[in-house]
Amino acid sequence: MDSNLDFGIKMPIKLFEVDGQWFGFTTTHVNTVIVILALTLFGLFVRAKLKNFKTIPDTKFQVFVELLVDGFEAFTMSTMGEKNKKFSMFYGPIFLFILLSNLTGLVGLRPPTADIATTFALSLTTFFMVQMYGVRSKGFGGYYKELFEPVPVLFPLNVIGELSNPVSLSFRLFGNILGGTIIMALYYTMMPWFALIGIPSVLHLYFDIFAGVLQTFIFVMLSMTFVSSAME
Amino acid sequence: MEQHAWILALSAIGAGLAMIAGIGPGIGQGFAAGKAAEAMGKNPKYGGRPATVVMLLGAAVAETSGIFSLVVAIIMLFANPLVSRGGVTAILAASALGAGFAMIAGIGPGIGQGYAAGKAAEAVGKRPKLQSAIVRTMLLGQAVAQTTGIYALIVALLLLFVNLF
Repeated sequence: MDSNLDFGIKMPIKLFEVDGQWFGFTTTHVNTVIVILALTLFGLFVRAKLKNFKTIPDTKFQVFVELLVDGFEAFTMSTMGEKNKKFSMFYGPIFLFILLSNLTGLVGLRPPTADIATTFALSLTTFFMVQMYGVRSKGFGGYYKELFEPVPVLFPLNVIGELSNPVSLSFRLFGNILGGTIIMALYYTMMPWFALIGIPSVLHLYFDIFAGVLQTFIFVMLSMTFVSSAME
Repeated sequence: MEQHAWILALSAIGAGLAMIAGIGPGIGQGFAAGKAAEAMGKNPKYGGRPATVVMLLGAAVAETSGIFSLVVAIIMLFANPLVSRGGVTAILAASALGAGFAMIAGIGPGIGQGYAAGKAAEAVGKRPKLQSAIVRTMLLGQAVAQTTGIYALIVALLLLFVNLF
């Protein structure tokens, strides 16, 4: 049974072998590069069109790009406050990357976010941003003094609480996307051919599109909340 | 009994135990549905539809622990990684049982997230104009409430996939 059901990470490009363990590029690497290429091409396309843009938009494409940028700025300002508008330059691309990664399940690729390495890297970025912006806005002593509040006895608990943020942040995204991937793989393997017409689109709608968009939104919003609360 | 049979037997119990977590989303989503019905009854003209939308969104998030349990149960039933791993029979079999036990934690997040969804539906029913702000606060809180359920999922996946002992 377990030979048919297949949701694990594959290694299509093998490079070298150490003690029977192969190292190389996995499906996660390949699919991440596909997502990055798609976003880069979109970015270059917008850049090429940029000189045709006018003060009053006359093409639908310019309206779309302005909607995207305005949307991210409004989202950032309403979550992090008016003065942190500049963070939309970081969280906008991160949002698009996670969103596109989650949606790769729709075209039959294995989502890069169904690999704990991808999501943990993203949440470690948040963790170090929290430390950096916390120290920058309150000073080294001012920021780490909060670990000893309200009473110094609680220091170990505060440290664990601080360290568990990136863990729960990464596993929230990973668990949801992996769950969808496993259920879709199981459905495609187990069902007879007549159940594969039409019905999978409903499952894709829930597990890929709904869960994918929702978890992207939650990841970015939680990350923004952590960073902005460290600065206050 | 041989090792293979012991692991499969306790995996079957584990898969059943994992699905006990369905209690949580059931209670939570029922509460959310009740609150949305209440909002529909009080303010059918303006508040009913937004309250229904918020209830559906919140209930879908509250479903997450049930899906996590389903995933762990499916892994144990159809793609059990413990079967092909060598080791002490008792430890491998107990790992399957323990993974099922861990997922029972999903009851908590299910009830809590459903409660949040219900309260959000109630609030939107009273003040439909604040819908987007209420939905964002609800999603943020629900995501944090999911944390212990995610820890349970981590432990279950560790027991199943990583050679700990």
